[in-house]
Amino acid sequence: MGDVGASPAEQMAVVLTENSADKLLPFATLVSGAVAMGMRVDVFASYWGLLAFRKSSGSEPAVVSPGHGEEGSRLEAALRAKKAPSWRAILQMAKSIGELHIYACSQSMDVLGLAPGDLEPIVDGVTGVATFVDRTRSANVTYFI
Amino acid sequence: MSGADPPPGTATNPPAASRLIVDARGSWCPGPLMELVRVIREEPVGTEFELLSSDEGSRKDVPMWLEKAGHRLVEFRSDSGFDRYVVQKTHE
Repeated sequence: MGDVGASPAEQMAVVLTENSADKLLPFATLVSGAVAMGMRVDVFASYWGLLAFRKSSGSEPAVVSPGHGEEGSRLEAALRAKKAPSWRAILQMAKSIGELHIYACSQSMDVLGLAPGDLEPIVDGVTGVATFVDRTRSANVTYFI
Repeated sequence: MSGADPPPGTATNPPAASRLIVDARGSWCPGPLMELVRVIREEPVGTEFELLSSDEGSRKDVPMWLEKAGHRLVEFRSDSGFDRYVVQKTHE
């Protein structure tokens, strides 16, 4: 990855707990920007964030998280009108140009009754939180989305 | 370049030049940068790319990435509705 301009030690950790369009698009944008800059990115998908990677969920949640009233509907309309990219396609692209790992939270898997086969293949595996924390303990930056 | 336009982000070799066109018009931030990172990884040192982008954020992101990654911005030109970045890969 010498051509990307970052030292291999630079790492971003992201805990994703949401699955609405207004969270997933900024999430995918942030992650892909970090990967483009040569950072290694590790994502821990839990609860609603894990549901975003469920096979049956479809890739484009048009739903904006509640509490935004009319602004929410306006955003949904704007995303459609401006042909918003698919957040999953953004992640796929990021995976193809750099180091992006996506892990499913094992506790969420239990709670939601999901098996590894229920998840999109972009998910690298199921891990417990301690494993994720250990993997990202030296991350330069951590986000909770 | 008439008739079949390549899909966004596809690198094609125009007959009149040795530059690879990377058409990322319509791609949201940081799509154009990701396309550029991808083709620079794939093509040999010395290759020139012409990145087309309609994303405003790329105006800062692309030159900043090029400086960090150590590749050359040969030319920047703003056209109607989109920008052209001519970039040369200078090392592996």
